[in-house]
Amino acid sequence: MSESKGLTRAKEIYQDRPRRVKELKAEGRKVIGYLCIYPVLEMITALDLVPYRILGDIREPITKADACLPTVVCPFVRSCLDLGLKGKYDFLDGVAMAHVCDVGEKAAHIWHIYLNPPYFHFIDTPHTIHKAAQKQHKELLKDFQRTLESFVGKKLSPGRLKEAIEAHNQQRALVRELYELRKPDPPLISGTETLQVMVALMSIPVEEGNELLRQVISEVKQRKDGLQKKPRLLVWGSIIDDIALIELIESAGANVVMDDTCVGSRAYFPDVKLTDDPLDGLAYRYLVELKCPRTFREGVFGETKKDYIKDLESRFSYLKDYAREWNAEGIIVQAMRYCDTHGYEVPGVKDYFNHLGLPNTYLELDYTEAALAPLRTRVQALLEVMG
Amino acid sequence: MTKVVIIDADDGICSRVIGPTGAEHRRLANKVMEEALEQANLSFDQVSYLVATGYGRMNVPFADRQVTELTCHARGVASIFPSVRVAIDIGGQDAKGLKIRDGRLVDFVMNDKCAAGTGRFLEVIADALGLRMEELGGISSKSTSKVEISSTCTIFAQQEVISRLSEGVALADIIAGLHDAIASRTVRMVRRLKIEPDVVFTGGVAKNMGVVNALRENLECEVFVPEEPLLTGAIGAALLGKELTLQALAKGEPIQRKERRLEEATFFNTRS
Repeated sequence: MSESKGLTRAKEIYQDRPRRVKELKAEGRKVIGYLCIYPVLEMITALDLVPYRILGDIREPITKADACLPTVVCPFVRSCLDLGLKGKYDFLDGVAMAHVCDVGEKAAHIWHIYLNPPYFHFIDTPHTIHKAAQKQHKELLKDFQRTLESFVGKKLSPGRLKEAIEAHNQQRALVRELYELRKPDPPLISGTETLQVMVALMSIPVEEGNELLRQVISEVKQRKDGLQKKPRLLVWGSIIDDIALIELIESAGANVVMDDTCVGSRAYFPDVKLTDDPLDGLAYRYLVELKCPRTFREGVFGETKKDYIKDLESRFSYLKDYAREWNAEGIIVQAMRYCDTHGYEVPGVKDYFNHLGLPNTYLELDYTEAALAPLRTRVQALLEVMG
Repeated sequence: MTKVVIIDADDGICSRVIGPTGAEHRRLANKVMEEALEQANLSFDQVSYLVATGYGRMNVPFADRQVTELTCHARGVASIFPSVRVAIDIGGQDAKGLKIRDGRLVDFVMNDKCAAGTGRFLEVIADALGLRMEELGGISSKSTSKVEISSTCTIFAQQEVISRLSEGVALADIIAGLHDAIASRTVRMVRRLKIEPDVVFTGGVAKNMGVVNALRENLECEVFVPEEPLLTGAIGAALLGKELTLQALAKGEPIQRKERRLEEATFFNTRS
């Protein structure tokens, strides 16, 4: 299969994520690390700071984090903290974290205490989407803006914020365009390649990411010797920030054609609406439209018990659309070990896919490369079930 | 354990061999294959198709195809019990729940990460008590009030058993408690498949009547056990092999076969 220049560049960034931001730092730019997808990137970009997603490393044994977090919590967050404690995120000028989940909150607190970056902000993101929560979220974003402004020593102009929203929306549109290339059978781009692009986007400034996406899209569209036809899978789950799992699934004889994970469509598909007060659009998108199980949703407020399938429909119907539009024939339901947030959602998601008649299987990840091998049998068995 | 089943065109079993696997997967695959051919009075070339399954399925160099044990077990169980809806398999390596509809696997759950809840759990504790696995069922049948043993960890359960013994609890009651621990742990996992009768129990642990009865109690329904619970996976693999051959013949396609040669062992080489 021909590898385009864009994909090669994405792979290079994937393999050495901090390289570009370190170059930018040498030119005097400041880099803000963020954990999970809830800190508002537009504000960081608008103040000429570079947002940089904090990710873990499944290939690096966790040795330092266990002194300050219990071992029976999210191994991804433990890995991020471990890398921080080992000095691998020392190049960050600041860190923005949010109450994504309980472990995320505690890790943020520990990060603040142990690593004490020049800038630190914690957004107390609400966990429901009720009106009162939305209102509160907007207030919290005002605080985030204020601390960023005082860190850089300048005010954020509404015009600059609007431009940043447009740049990030542009990136979202380009990601959706890239995902269109996964719709043909066989897809024009593999799940592994897509993930490398997604990780790359989270490691470079938004404008550079957009350039990378344009290059990848135009080159992948020209591909003649693409992938082979194989059973088409959708992966639902928590964070997948290393290609090892997707490679394992694809080498077992499938094409991963769609995802609902936070280094994928979940992070990029929803746009920010341009509202008179830009904060309204931002607050709505980052609370209501990001569909991570960390936010509690129910079909009709207070009516969950009346009609289970209706409740599932209202929470997960977008997954039905994904499965139809990308023609997924089977589903991998993935969660990180000890992730209460996703674990809580797994029975409902499985019930929903069973209701749709889509074969599915559950994979629990330990967030170590070594523990992946036994999962191969489950993936192969799913493919056999699909026939 | 490594098993071989050879079937004829009418699904009749020509030979069945069970041997311990040990460390040298490939050498054993050759050895049991030779034995099976001898038993069936066949030359290797006369075998039309060969499916390998299970943990060692990549270590059978002469297999024409690899199929997971989940699919093979489902097929094998359904051939013996056509009305099966849920199969529970507890072996030395893992525990599995299979949902079967019209003889085909439709869903599954699996524990292969922890020894607790597998045959290994009983092996470790039987060893600590100086008993043989085959004795456990008989001893537990004499129990009058089984004790509660926690099923979360094999090593801790072993300590628990020893402290119960030192308290003077009867051996039969302890072993009945162990059987209940493994059964209830498995049932909790398999419930995710929404259990429906008929339920069939296979794998080495199904030879232990104590666990069979504990499963019946936990599930509150009948649990069927095949005459040879170790062989259902191999039977399923043989039936799938026959199906693949017949499909190819019907379509007039060539049958993709590996060379029928029993090569010398290549130690731990997983790439074939």
